[in-house]
Amino acid sequence: MTTLPTVPPTTRPVSRTAPTTGPFAGAVAAEWTKLWSVRSTWWTLLAAALTMAATAAQLAIYAVNANTDDDPTVNPGILPVGDIVTGSLELTQYVVLALGLFAVTSEYATGTIRTTLRCTPSRGRVLLAKAVVVGVVTFLVGLLLGGVGAAVARPVLGEWGRAPLGGTLGDVAASAAYLALVGVLALGLAAALRGAVLTLTVLFALLMIVPLSLQEPGITVLTRIADGFPGVAGSHFLTGDTEPYPAAAGLLLLASWAVAALLLGRYALGRRDA
Amino acid sequence: MITLRALTKRFGTATVVDGLTVDIGPGQVTGFLGPNGAGKSTTMRMVLGLDRPTAGSALVNGRPYRELRHPLHEVGALLDATGIHPTRSGRSHLRAMARSNGIPAGRVAEVLDLVGLDGRAADKPGRALSLGMGQRLGIAGALLGDPPVLLLDEPVNGLDPDGVRWIRRLTRTLADEGRTVLLSSHLMSEMQQTADRVIVLGKGRLVADAPLAELIAAGPAASVRVRGPEPAGLAALGARLTAERATVTAYDTDGLTVTGASAGRVGDLAYELGVRLHELTPVAASLEEAFLELTADSVEYAAGPAGNEAR
Repeated sequence: MTTLPTVPPTTRPVSRTAPTTGPFAGAVAAEWTKLWSVRSTWWTLLAAALTMAATAAQLAIYAVNANTDDDPTVNPGILPVGDIVTGSLELTQYVVLALGLFAVTSEYATGTIRTTLRCTPSRGRVLLAKAVVVGVVTFLVGLLLGGVGAAVARPVLGEWGRAPLGGTLGDVAASAAYLALVGVLALGLAAALRGAVLTLTVLFALLMIVPLSLQEPGITVLTRIADGFPGVAGSHFLTGDTEPYPAAAGLLLLASWAVAALLLGRYALGRRDA
Repeated sequence: MITLRALTKRFGTATVVDGLTVDIGPGQVTGFLGPNGAGKSTTMRMVLGLDRPTAGSALVNGRPYRELRHPLHEVGALLDATGIHPTRSGRSHLRAMARSNGIPAGRVAEVLDLVGLDGRAADKPGRALSLGMGQRLGIAGALLGDPPVLLLDEPVNGLDPDGVRWIRRLTRTLADEGRTVLLSSHLMSEMQQTADRVIVLGKGRLVADAPLAELIAAGPAASVRVRGPEPAGLAALGARLTAERATVTAYDTDGLTVTGASAGRVGDLAYELGVRLHELTPVAASLEEAFLELTADSVEYAAGPAGNEAR
Protein backbone atom coordinates (compact mmCIF):
# COMPACT_ATOMS: atom_id res chain seq x y z
CA MET A 1 0.00 0.00 0.00
CA THR A 2 1.12 3.53 -0.53
CA THR A 3 1.36 6.44 1.82
CA LEU A 4 -0.26 9.77 1.28
CA PRO A 5 1.96 12.81 1.14
CA THR A 6 2.08 14.42 4.56
CA VAL A 7 2.49 17.93 3.23
CA PRO A 8 -0.70 19.73 2.24
CA PRO A 9 -1.31 19.11 -1.42
CA THR A 10 -0.22 21.76 -3.81
CA THR A 11 -1.35 21.25 -7.32
CA ARG A 12 0.78 23.88 -8.96
CA PRO A 13 3.12 22.10 -11.34
CA VAL A 14 6.71 23.20 -11.35
CA SER A 15 6.21 25.02 -14.59
CA ARG A 16 2.94 25.38 -16.40
CA THR A 17 3.43 24.64 -20.02
CA ALA A 18 1.31 25.08 -23.08
CA PRO A 19 0.37 21.94 -25.04
CA THR A 20 3.42 20.70 -26.88
CA THR A 21 1.51 19.04 -29.70
CA GLY A 22 -1.60 19.64 -31.72
CA PRO A 23 -4.70 17.65 -30.83
CA PHE A 24 -4.42 15.19 -33.71
CA ALA A 25 -0.74 14.42 -33.16
CA GLY A 26 -1.55 14.04 -29.46
CA ALA A 27 -4.40 11.64 -30.16
CA VAL A 28 -2.14 9.52 -32.39
CA ALA A 29 0.60 9.47 -29.72
CA ALA A 30 -1.95 8.44 -27.08
CA GLU A 31 -3.31 5.62 -29.25
CA TRP A 32 0.23 4.42 -29.87
CA THR A 33 0.96 4.39 -26.13
CA LYS A 34 -2.29 2.59 -25.38
CA LEU A 35 -1.70 -0.07 -28.04
CA TRP A 36 1.73 -1.04 -26.74
CA SER A 37 0.84 -0.91 -23.04
CA VAL A 38 -1.60 -3.83 -23.02
CA ARG A 39 -0.70 -7.50 -23.13
CA SER A 40 -3.22 -8.47 -25.79
CA THR A 41 -1.19 -6.61 -28.45
CA TRP A 42 1.87 -8.77 -27.84
CA TRP A 43 -0.16 -11.97 -27.74
CA THR A 44 -1.82 -10.99 -31.01
CA LEU A 45 1.55 -10.46 -32.67
CA LEU A 46 2.85 -13.79 -31.41
CA ALA A 47 -0.30 -15.57 -32.53
CA ALA A 48 -0.12 -13.91 -35.95
CA ALA A 49 3.52 -14.96 -36.44
CA LEU A 50 2.74 -18.57 -35.44
CA THR A 51 -0.35 -18.69 -37.65
CA MET A 52 1.60 -17.32 -40.59
CA ALA A 53 4.46 -19.79 -40.09
CA ALA A 54 2.13 -22.77 -39.73
CA THR A 55 -0.09 -21.79 -42.68
CA ALA A 56 2.87 -21.06 -44.94
CA ALA A 57 4.46 -24.39 -44.08
CA GLN A 58 1.20 -26.22 -44.72
CA LEU A 59 0.60 -24.54 -48.09
CA ALA A 60 4.20 -25.24 -49.10
CA ILE A 61 3.81 -28.92 -48.20
CA TYR A 62 0.59 -29.11 -50.26
CA ALA A 63 2.42 -27.56 -53.23
CA VAL A 64 5.27 -30.04 -52.99
CA ASN A 65 2.84 -32.97 -52.65
CA ALA A 66 0.82 -31.79 -55.63
CA ASN A 67 4.00 -31.67 -57.72
CA THR A 68 5.05 -35.16 -56.71
CA ASP A 69 1.79 -37.09 -57.08
CA ASP A 70 0.75 -39.01 -60.21
CA ASP A 71 -1.76 -36.63 -61.73
CA PRO A 72 0.18 -34.10 -63.82
CA THR A 73 -2.92 -32.00 -64.62
CA VAL A 74 -3.07 -30.49 -61.13
CA ASN A 75 0.67 -30.08 -60.96
CA PRO A 76 1.31 -26.46 -59.95
CA GLY A 77 4.93 -26.59 -61.00
CA ILE A 78 7.54 -24.34 -59.52
CA LEU A 79 5.87 -21.77 -57.23
CA PRO A 80 7.08 -18.30 -56.31
CA VAL A 81 7.33 -18.11 -52.54
CA GLY A 82 5.24 -14.93 -52.61
CA ASP A 83 2.19 -16.97 -53.65
CA ILE A 84 2.47 -18.95 -50.43
CA VAL A 85 2.67 -15.71 -48.43
CA THR A 86 -0.42 -14.16 -50.00
CA GLY A 87 -2.27 -17.47 -49.75
CA SER A 88 -1.50 -17.69 -46.06
CA LEU A 89 -3.30 -14.40 -45.41
CA GLU A 90 -6.69 -16.04 -45.81
CA LEU A 91 -6.27 -17.43 -42.30
CA THR A 92 -3.68 -15.07 -40.79
CA GLN A 93 -5.80 -11.99 -41.45
CA TYR A 94 -8.26 -13.02 -38.73
CA VAL A 95 -5.51 -12.79 -36.15
CA VAL A 96 -4.10 -9.50 -37.41
CA LEU A 97 -7.47 -7.77 -37.65
CA ALA A 98 -7.82 -8.27 -33.90
CA LEU A 99 -5.52 -5.26 -33.55
CA GLY A 100 -8.12 -3.06 -35.20
CA LEU A 101 -10.96 -4.78 -33.39
CA PHE A 102 -9.46 -4.47 -29.89
CA ALA A 103 -8.56 -0.81 -30.42
CA VAL A 104 -12.28 -0.10 -29.98
CA THR A 105 -13.97 -3.09 -28.33
CA SER A 106 -11.54 -3.25 -25.40
CA GLU A 107 -12.22 0.44 -24.72
CA TYR A 108 -15.93 -0.24 -24.41
CA ALA A 109 -15.41 -3.43 -22.43
CA THR A 110 -13.16 -1.76 -19.83
CA GLY A 111 -14.75 1.70 -19.76
CA THR A 112 -11.57 3.43 -20.93
CA ILE A 113 -13.59 4.88 -23.83
CA ARG A 114 -14.81 7.57 -21.43
CA THR A 115 -11.23 8.58 -20.64
CA THR A 116 -10.33 8.52 -24.32
CA LEU A 117 -13.24 10.76 -25.27
CA ARG A 118 -12.51 13.13 -22.40
CA CYS A 119 -8.94 13.48 -23.68
CA THR A 120 -10.01 13.83 -27.30
CA PRO A 121 -13.65 14.88 -27.47
CA SER A 122 -13.76 15.08 -31.27
CA ARG A 123 -15.11 11.69 -32.33
CA GLY A 124 -13.72 12.02 -35.82
CA ARG A 125 -10.27 12.85 -34.47
CA VAL A 126 -10.25 9.84 -32.12
CA LEU A 127 -11.28 7.43 -34.84
CA LEU A 128 -8.84 8.85 -37.39
CA ALA A 129 -6.01 8.65 -34.84
CA LYS A 130 -6.89 5.02 -34.17
CA ALA A 131 -7.04 4.33 -37.91
CA VAL A 132 -3.59 5.83 -38.43
CA VAL A 133 -2.07 3.77 -35.61
CA VAL A 134 -3.85 0.54 -36.57
CA GLY A 135 -3.08 1.08 -40.26
CA VAL A 136 0.61 1.76 -39.73
CA VAL A 137 1.07 -1.02 -37.19
CA THR A 138 -0.76 -3.66 -39.23
CA PHE A 139 1.20 -2.62 -42.31
CA LEU A 140 4.53 -3.03 -40.50
CA VAL A 141 3.31 -6.27 -38.94
CA GLY A 142 2.30 -7.37 -42.43
CA LEU A 143 5.84 -6.80 -43.72
CA LEU A 144 7.19 -8.80 -40.81
CA LEU A 145 4.70 -11.61 -41.35
CA GLY A 146 5.51 -11.67 -45.06
CA GLY A 147 9.13 -12.18 -44.10
CA VAL A 148 8.19 -14.98 -41.73
CA GLY A 149 5.99 -16.68 -44.34
CA ALA A 150 8.67 -16.50 -47.03
CA ALA A 151 11.39 -17.71 -44.68
CA VAL A 152 9.29 -20.73 -43.70
CA ALA A 153 7.94 -21.56 -47.17
CA ARG A 154 11.20 -21.34 -49.13
CA PRO A 155 13.05 -24.29 -47.53
CA VAL A 156 9.86 -26.41 -47.44
CA LEU A 157 9.27 -25.86 -51.16
CA GLY A 158 12.83 -26.87 -51.95
CA GLU A 159 13.27 -27.53 -55.67
CA TRP A 160 9.60 -26.62 -56.32
CA GLY A 161 10.01 -23.07 -55.14
CA ARG A 162 11.69 -19.90 -56.26
CA ALA A 163 12.08 -16.57 -54.56
CA PRO A 164 12.89 -13.80 -57.01
CA LEU A 165 13.78 -10.80 -54.85
CA GLY A 166 11.62 -8.23 -56.60
CA GLY A 167 8.56 -10.44 -56.92
CA THR A 168 8.76 -11.65 -53.34
CA LEU A 169 9.18 -8.14 -51.95
CA GLY A 170 6.21 -7.01 -54.06
CA ASP A 171 4.04 -9.82 -52.69
CA VAL A 172 5.12 -9.05 -49.13
CA ALA A 173 4.32 -5.35 -49.57
CA ALA A 174 0.96 -6.21 -51.10
CA SER A 175 0.21 -8.52 -48.17
CA ALA A 176 1.07 -5.72 -45.74
CA ALA A 177 -1.23 -3.31 -47.58
CA TYR A 178 -4.03 -5.89 -47.54
CA LEU A 179 -3.64 -6.48 -43.79
CA ALA A 180 -3.55 -2.73 -43.06
CA LEU A 181 -6.82 -2.17 -44.94
CA VAL A 182 -8.51 -5.15 -43.31
CA GLY A 183 -7.29 -3.86 -39.93
CA VAL A 184 -8.87 -0.46 -40.56
CA LEU A 185 -12.05 -2.14 -41.81
CA ALA A 186 -12.21 -4.06 -38.51
CA LEU A 187 -11.62 -0.84 -36.58
CA GLY A 188 -14.43 1.02 -38.33
CA LEU A 189 -16.89 -1.84 -37.90
CA ALA A 190 -15.94 -2.18 -34.24
CA ALA A 191 -16.62 1.53 -33.69
CA ALA A 192 -20.05 1.04 -35.24
CA LEU A 193 -20.91 -2.19 -33.41
CA ARG A 194 -18.94 -1.85 -30.13
CA GLY A 195 -18.89 -5.55 -29.17
CA ALA A 196 -16.01 -7.85 -30.13
CA VAL A 197 -18.13 -10.92 -30.86
CA LEU A 198 -20.66 -9.13 -33.03
CA THR A 199 -17.92 -7.31 -34.93
CA LEU A 200 -15.97 -10.49 -35.54
CA THR A 201 -19.11 -12.25 -36.76
CA VAL A 202 -19.84 -9.47 -39.24
CA LEU A 203 -16.21 -9.52 -40.38
CA PHE A 204 -16.32 -13.28 -40.97
CA ALA A 205 -19.50 -12.81 -42.98
CA LEU A 206 -18.06 -9.99 -45.09
CA LEU A 207 -14.64 -11.50 -45.69
CA MET A 208 -15.57 -15.13 -46.17
CA ILE A 209 -19.02 -16.60 -45.57
CA VAL A 210 -21.21 -14.38 -47.77
CA PRO A 211 -18.88 -14.18 -50.80
CA LEU A 212 -18.15 -17.91 -50.56
CA SER A 213 -21.86 -18.73 -50.57
CA LEU A 214 -22.37 -16.41 -53.53
CA GLN A 215 -19.54 -18.04 -55.51
CA GLU A 216 -20.59 -21.58 -54.69
CA PRO A 217 -23.40 -22.08 -57.25
CA GLY A 218 -21.21 -20.76 -60.09
CA ILE A 219 -23.88 -18.37 -61.33
CA THR A 220 -22.20 -15.43 -63.04
CA VAL A 221 -24.37 -12.71 -61.52
CA LEU A 222 -23.77 -14.00 -57.99
CA THR A 223 -20.05 -14.40 -58.61
CA ARG A 224 -19.89 -10.79 -59.83
CA ILE A 225 -21.62 -9.65 -56.63
CA ALA A 226 -19.12 -11.68 -54.61
CA ASP A 227 -16.33 -9.84 -56.46
CA GLY A 228 -17.52 -6.66 -54.75
CA PHE A 229 -16.88 -7.97 -51.24
CA PRO A 230 -13.73 -6.76 -49.43
CA GLY A 231 -12.04 -10.15 -49.02
CA VAL A 232 -12.57 -11.14 -52.67
CA ALA A 233 -11.46 -7.70 -53.86
CA GLY A 234 -8.38 -8.07 -51.71
CA SER A 235 -7.53 -11.49 -53.11
CA HIS A 236 -7.94 -10.24 -56.70
CA PHE A 237 -5.43 -7.56 -55.73
CA LEU A 238 -3.06 -10.02 -54.07
CA THR A 239 -3.03 -12.50 -56.94
CA GLY A 240 -2.54 -9.72 -59.49
CA ASP A 241 -5.67 -10.66 -61.45
CA THR A 242 -6.77 -8.88 -64.56
CA GLU A 243 -10.28 -10.38 -64.47
CA PRO A 244 -12.94 -9.36 -63.51
CA TYR A 245 -11.10 -6.12 -62.81
CA PRO A 246 -7.44 -5.11 -62.62
CA ALA A 247 -5.51 -5.73 -59.42
CA ALA A 248 -5.35 -2.01 -58.64
CA ALA A 249 -9.16 -1.85 -58.74
CA GLY A 250 -9.26 -4.64 -56.18
CA LEU A 251 -7.03 -2.60 -53.89
CA LEU A 252 -9.20 0.46 -54.42
CA LEU A 253 -12.36 -1.51 -53.71
CA LEU A 254 -10.93 -2.88 -50.46
CA ALA A 255 -9.81 0.61 -49.46
CA SER A 256 -13.32 1.90 -50.15
CA TRP A 257 -14.72 -0.74 -47.78
CA ALA A 258 -12.27 0.40 -45.09
CA VAL A 259 -13.21 4.06 -45.57
CA ALA A 260 -16.93 3.23 -45.55
CA ALA A 261 -16.50 1.29 -42.30
CA LEU A 262 -14.69 4.27 -40.74
CA LEU A 263 -17.49 6.63 -41.80
CA LEU A 264 -20.06 4.27 -40.32
CA GLY A 265 -18.04 4.11 -37.10
CA ARG A 266 -17.71 7.90 -37.00
CA TYR A 267 -21.47 8.26 -37.41
CA ALA A 268 -22.19 5.77 -34.61
CA LEU A 269 -19.62 7.33 -32.25
CA GLY A 270 -21.13 10.75 -32.78
CA ARG A 271 -24.65 9.64 -31.98
CA ARG A 272 -23.91 7.33 -29.10
CA ASP A 273 -23.62 8.32 -25.44
CA ALA A 274 -20.33 7.02 -24.10
CA MET B 1 -16.99 28.17 -14.72
CA ILE B 2 -19.67 25.66 -15.65
CA THR B 3 -22.85 26.98 -17.22
CA LEU B 4 -25.95 24.83 -17.55
CA ARG B 5 -28.89 26.23 -19.48
CA ALA B 6 -32.20 24.37 -19.56
CA LEU B 7 -30.12 21.20 -19.69
CA THR B 8 -32.33 18.19 -20.37
CA LYS B 9 -31.64 14.51 -20.92
CA ARG B 10 -34.22 11.90 -21.75
CA PHE B 11 -33.63 8.19 -22.12
CA GLY B 12 -36.70 6.93 -23.95
CA THR B 13 -39.62 8.21 -21.96
CA ALA B 14 -37.66 8.77 -18.75
CA THR B 15 -36.50 12.32 -18.14
CA VAL B 16 -33.30 12.03 -16.14
CA VAL B 17 -32.29 15.70 -16.19
CA ASP B 18 -35.10 18.17 -16.56
CA GLY B 19 -34.46 21.77 -17.58
CA LEU B 20 -31.49 22.35 -15.31
CA THR B 21 -30.23 25.94 -15.29
CA VAL B 22 -27.39 26.76 -12.94
CA ASP B 23 -23.95 28.40 -12.87
CA ILE B 24 -21.08 26.80 -11.00
CA GLY B 25 -18.47 29.44 -10.32
CA PRO B 26 -14.78 29.49 -9.43
CA GLY B 27 -13.12 29.80 -6.06
CA GLN B 28 -15.43 27.55 -4.13
CA VAL B 29 -16.31 23.92 -3.66
CA THR B 30 -19.78 23.31 -5.00
CA GLY B 31 -21.45 20.22 -3.63
CA PHE B 32 -23.73 18.29 -5.95
CA LEU B 33 -26.35 16.41 -3.97
CA GLY B 34 -29.36 14.33 -4.79
CA PRO B 35 -30.90 10.94 -4.11
CA ASN B 36 -29.92 8.03 -6.35
CA GLY B 37 -31.27 8.56 -9.84
CA ALA B 38 -31.56 12.34 -9.40
CA GLY B 39 -29.41 12.93 -12.48
CA LYS B 40 -26.11 14.01 -10.92
CA SER B 41 -23.88 11.66 -12.90
CA THR B 42 -25.78 12.21 -16.13
CA THR B 43 -25.36 15.97 -15.69
CA MET B 44 -21.61 15.55 -15.17
CA ARG B 45 -21.38 13.31 -18.22
CA MET B 46 -23.14 15.93 -20.32
CA VAL B 47 -20.73 18.61 -19.08
CA LEU B 48 -17.88 16.31 -20.19
CA GLY B 49 -19.37 15.76 -23.63
CA LEU B 50 -19.88 12.05 -23.01
CA ASP B 51 -23.68 12.13 -23.09
CA ARG B 52 -25.42 14.31 -25.62
CA PRO B 53 -28.09 16.61 -24.11
CA THR B 54 -31.61 16.08 -25.44
CA ALA B 55 -32.12 19.84 -25.11
CA GLY B 56 -30.36 22.82 -23.59
CA SER B 57 -26.64 23.26 -23.17
CA ALA B 58 -23.76 22.52 -20.84
CA LEU B 59 -20.78 24.84 -21.27
CA VAL B 60 -17.33 24.84 -19.73
CA ASN B 61 -15.68 28.26 -19.71
CA GLY B 62 -18.28 29.30 -22.24
CA ARG B 63 -17.75 26.46 -24.70
CA PRO B 64 -19.19 22.98 -25.21
CA TYR B 65 -16.71 20.32 -24.13
CA ARG B 66 -16.73 18.61 -27.51
CA GLU B 67 -15.21 21.73 -29.05
CA LEU B 68 -12.21 21.86 -26.72
CA ARG B 69 -8.91 21.05 -28.43
CA HIS B 70 -6.91 20.27 -25.30
CA PRO B 71 -9.66 19.60 -22.78
CA LEU B 72 -7.42 18.26 -20.01
CA HIS B 73 -5.94 21.75 -19.67
CA GLU B 74 -9.40 23.13 -19.02
CA VAL B 75 -11.39 20.44 -17.22
CA GLY B 76 -10.25 17.60 -15.00
CA ALA B 77 -12.69 14.90 -14.02
CA LEU B 78 -13.00 11.87 -11.86
CA LEU B 79 -15.95 9.77 -12.91
CA ASP B 80 -17.80 7.29 -10.78
CA ALA B 81 -16.52 4.31 -12.73
CA THR B 82 -12.88 5.10 -13.38
CA GLY B 83 -12.05 2.82 -16.26
CA ILE B 84 -8.57 1.45 -16.54
CA HIS B 85 -7.60 -1.44 -18.78
CA PRO B 86 -6.91 -4.59 -16.69
CA THR B 87 -3.47 -5.17 -18.18
CA ARG B 88 -2.36 -1.54 -18.53
CA SER B 89 -0.39 0.06 -15.71
CA GLY B 90 -1.60 3.23 -14.06
CA ARG B 91 1.50 5.00 -15.26
CA SER B 92 0.86 4.06 -18.90
CA HIS B 93 -2.77 5.07 -18.48
CA LEU B 94 -1.69 8.55 -17.36
CA ARG B 95 1.06 8.72 -19.95
CA ALA B 96 -1.43 8.12 -22.76
CA MET B 97 -3.71 10.80 -21.31
CA ALA B 98 -0.79 13.23 -21.06
CA ARG B 99 0.36 12.62 -24.63
CA SER B 100 -3.14 13.15 -26.00
CA ASN B 101 -3.13 16.70 -24.66
CA GLY B 102 0.50 17.62 -25.19
CA ILE B 103 1.33 17.46 -21.49
CA PRO B 104 5.04 16.82 -20.76
CA ALA B 105 5.84 13.31 -19.50
CA GLY B 106 7.33 14.73 -16.30
CA ARG B 107 3.89 15.82 -15.17
CA VAL B 108 2.82 12.17 -14.88
CA ALA B 109 5.39 11.53 -12.15
CA GLU B 110 4.34 14.79 -10.52
CA VAL B 111 0.65 13.89 -10.22
CA LEU B 112 1.45 10.33 -9.12
CA ASP B 113 3.51 11.82 -6.35
CA LEU B 114 0.75 14.28 -5.55
CA VAL B 115 -1.86 11.56 -4.98
CA GLY B 116 0.59 9.37 -3.08
CA LEU B 117 0.96 6.51 -5.56
CA ASP B 118 4.54 5.29 -5.41
CA GLY B 119 6.43 3.66 -8.23
CA ARG B 120 5.35 0.14 -7.39
CA ALA B 121 1.65 0.99 -7.25
CA ALA B 122 1.86 3.02 -10.46
CA ASP B 123 3.36 0.11 -12.36
CA LYS B 124 0.71 -2.38 -11.26
CA PRO B 125 -1.74 -3.46 -13.95
CA GLY B 126 -5.23 -2.02 -13.67
CA ARG B 127 -6.78 -5.22 -12.39
CA ALA B 128 -4.41 -5.29 -9.40
CA LEU B 129 -5.43 -1.85 -8.16
CA SER B 130 -7.66 -1.56 -5.09
CA LEU B 131 -10.69 0.70 -5.22
CA GLY B 132 -8.82 3.31 -3.24
CA MET B 133 -5.77 3.20 -5.50
CA GLY B 134 -8.03 3.41 -8.53
CA GLN B 135 -9.68 6.52 -7.07
CA ARG B 136 -6.31 8.13 -6.52
CA LEU B 137 -5.23 7.27 -10.04
CA GLY B 138 -8.44 8.90 -11.28
CA ILE B 139 -7.67 12.02 -9.26
CA ALA B 140 -4.14 12.03 -10.65
CA GLY B 141 -5.69 11.98 -14.13
CA ALA B 142 -8.00 14.85 -13.22
CA LEU B 143 -5.06 17.00 -12.07
CA LEU B 144 -2.83 16.09 -15.03
CA GLY B 145 -3.51 19.19 -17.11
CA ASP B 146 -3.66 21.54 -14.10
CA PRO B 147 -7.19 22.52 -15.11
CA PRO B 148 -9.16 25.48 -13.75
CA VAL B 149 -12.34 23.37 -13.60
CA LEU B 150 -12.67 20.05 -11.77
CA LEU B 151 -15.56 17.60 -11.65
CA LEU B 152 -15.28 14.90 -9.03
CA ASP B 153 -17.98 12.26 -8.89
CA GLU B 154 -17.97 10.52 -5.50
CA PRO B 155 -14.23 11.04 -4.93
CA VAL B 156 -14.16 9.59 -1.41
CA ASN B 157 -15.63 6.25 -2.54
CA GLY B 158 -13.35 3.47 -1.39
CA LEU B 159 -10.90 5.72 0.41
CA ASP B 160 -9.78 5.10 3.98
CA PRO B 161 -10.25 7.85 6.61
CA ASP B 162 -6.82 9.27 5.79
CA GLY B 163 -7.73 9.42 2.14
CA VAL B 164 -11.04 11.08 2.93
CA ARG B 165 -9.27 13.80 4.92
CA TRP B 166 -6.76 14.18 2.14
CA ILE B 167 -9.52 14.71 -0.45
CA ARG B 168 -11.13 17.27 1.82
CA ARG B 169 -7.91 19.28 2.00
CA LEU B 170 -7.22 18.83 -1.70
CA THR B 171 -10.61 20.15 -2.79
CA ARG B 172 -10.19 23.07 -0.35
CA THR B 173 -6.78 23.89 -1.80
CA LEU B 174 -8.04 23.62 -5.36
CA ALA B 175 -10.94 25.98 -4.64
CA ASP B 176 -8.68 28.41 -2.77
CA GLU B 177 -6.44 28.53 -5.82
CA GLY B 178 -9.44 29.98 -7.64
CA ARG B 179 -10.59 26.84 -9.43
CA THR B 180 -14.13 25.71 -10.03
CA VAL B 181 -14.71 22.50 -8.09
CA LEU B 182 -17.90 20.50 -8.50
CA LEU B 183 -18.08 17.58 -6.12
CA SER B 184 -20.81 15.00 -5.90
CA SER B 185 -21.24 12.81 -2.90
CA HIS B 186 -23.98 10.93 -1.17
CA LEU B 187 -22.19 11.34 2.17
CA MET B 188 -23.93 14.30 3.76
CA SER B 189 -21.52 14.71 6.65
CA GLU B 190 -18.66 14.72 4.15
CA MET B 191 -20.38 17.36 2.06
CA GLN B 192 -21.11 19.47 5.11
CA GLN B 193 -17.40 19.60 5.86
CA THR B 194 -16.26 20.23 2.31
CA ALA B 195 -18.71 22.28 0.31
CA ASP B 196 -19.14 26.04 0.33
CA ARG B 197 -22.24 25.91 -1.75
CA VAL B 198 -24.69 23.14 -2.45
CA ILE B 199 -26.78 22.29 -5.46
CA VAL B 200 -29.52 19.78 -4.76
CA LEU B 201 -31.17 17.78 -7.52
CA GLY B 202 -34.37 15.80 -7.21
CA LYS B 203 -35.82 13.81 -10.10
CA GLY B 204 -33.59 15.74 -12.48
CA ARG B 205 -34.82 19.14 -11.35
CA LEU B 206 -33.06 21.81 -9.36
CA VAL B 207 -34.36 21.61 -5.79
CA ALA B 208 -31.96 24.01 -4.11
CA ASP B 209 -28.92 26.09 -4.96
CA ALA B 210 -27.59 27.98 -1.97
CA PRO B 211 -24.58 28.51 0.28
CA LEU B 212 -24.16 25.60 2.65
CA ALA B 213 -24.90 27.63 5.78
CA GLU B 214 -28.08 29.02 4.28
CA LEU B 215 -29.31 25.58 3.32
CA ILE B 216 -28.68 24.16 6.77
CA ALA B 217 -30.39 27.17 8.39
CA ALA B 218 -33.43 26.64 6.16
CA GLY B 219 -33.72 23.01 7.22
CA PRO B 220 -34.94 21.67 10.54
CA ALA B 221 -33.51 23.84 13.32
CA ALA B 222 -31.21 22.67 16.06
CA SER B 223 -33.13 20.84 18.76
CA VAL B 224 -32.76 19.15 22.12
CA ARG B 225 -33.82 15.61 22.79
CA VAL B 226 -35.08 14.85 26.29
CA ARG B 227 -35.94 11.47 27.78
CA GLY B 228 -37.06 10.52 31.24
CA PRO B 229 -38.84 7.79 33.19
CA GLU B 230 -41.67 10.00 34.56
CA PRO B 231 -44.35 10.84 31.96
CA ALA B 232 -46.04 13.30 34.29
CA GLY B 233 -42.80 15.10 35.00
CA LEU B 234 -41.97 15.29 31.29
CA ALA B 235 -45.41 16.70 30.60
CA ALA B 236 -44.83 19.40 33.21
CA LEU B 237 -41.44 20.17 31.70
CA GLY B 238 -43.04 20.34 28.25
CA ALA B 239 -45.70 22.76 29.47
CA ARG B 240 -43.08 24.95 31.08
CA LEU B 241 -40.98 25.00 27.89
CA THR B 242 -44.03 25.82 25.77
CA ALA B 243 -44.70 28.73 28.10
CA GLU B 244 -41.19 29.92 27.26
CA ARG B 245 -42.10 29.86 23.53
CA ALA B 246 -40.14 26.71 22.76
CA THR B 247 -41.70 24.13 20.45
CA VAL B 248 -42.20 20.74 22.05
CA THR B 249 -43.13 17.53 20.29
CA ALA B 250 -43.41 14.04 21.67
CA TYR B 251 -40.46 11.81 20.88
CA ASP B 252 -41.05 8.06 21.02
CA THR B 253 -43.13 7.23 24.15
CA ASP B 254 -40.87 8.57 26.83
CA GLY B 255 -39.26 11.64 25.35
CA LEU B 256 -39.58 15.13 23.94
CA THR B 257 -37.98 17.02 21.10
CA VAL B 258 -37.53 20.66 21.97
CA THR B 259 -36.67 23.42 19.55
CA GLY B 260 -36.15 27.01 20.61
CA ALA B 261 -34.49 26.29 23.95
CA SER B 262 -30.89 25.33 24.68
CA ALA B 263 -29.95 22.05 26.32
CA GLY B 264 -28.72 24.08 29.29
CA ARG B 265 -32.08 25.80 29.70
CA VAL B 266 -33.96 22.51 29.47
CA GLY B 267 -31.66 20.98 32.09
CA ASP B 268 -32.08 23.92 34.45
CA LEU B 269 -35.87 23.75 34.16
CA ALA B 270 -35.86 20.00 34.79
CA TYR B 271 -33.79 20.55 37.94
CA GLU B 272 -36.13 23.35 39.06
CA LEU B 273 -39.19 21.12 38.55
CA GLY B 274 -37.53 18.10 40.06
CA VAL B 275 -38.02 15.98 36.93
CA ARG B 276 -35.69 13.01 36.54
CA LEU B 277 -34.00 12.83 33.12
CA HIS B 278 -32.24 9.92 31.46
CA GLU B 279 -31.17 11.78 28.37
CA LEU B 280 -30.51 15.37 27.39
CA THR B 281 -29.00 15.57 23.93
CA PRO B 282 -28.46 18.64 21.77
CA VAL B 283 -29.11 17.77 18.11
CA ALA B 284 -27.31 20.14 15.74
CA ALA B 285 -28.93 21.31 12.53
CA SER B 286 -27.33 19.37 9.71
CA LEU B 287 -27.15 19.25 5.99
CA GLU B 288 -28.53 15.74 6.13
CA GLU B 289 -31.74 16.91 7.83
CA ALA B 290 -32.06 19.82 5.43
CA PHE B 291 -31.42 17.53 2.49
CA LEU B 292 -33.96 14.95 3.56
CA GLU B 293 -36.58 17.64 3.98
CA LEU B 294 -35.79 19.12 0.57
CA THR B 295 -35.84 15.86 -1.33
CA ALA B 296 -38.64 14.15 0.59
CA ASP B 297 -40.91 14.50 -2.45
CA SER B 298 -38.39 13.45 -5.02
CA VAL B 299 -36.75 10.26 -3.89
CA GLU B 300 -36.69 7.82 -6.76
CA TYR B 301 -37.12 4.73 -4.62
CA ALA B 302 -39.09 5.66 -1.51
CA ALA B 303 -37.88 3.81 1.55
CA GLY B 304 -40.24 1.67 3.59
CA PRO B 305 -41.16 2.30 7.25
CA ALA B 306 -37.76 1.07 8.41
CA GLY B 307 -36.09 3.69 6.25
CA ASN B 308 -38.32 6.41 7.65
CA GLU B 309 -37.50 5.44 11.18
CA ALA B 310 -33.84 5.65 10.44
CA ARG B 311 -34.36 9.33 9.81
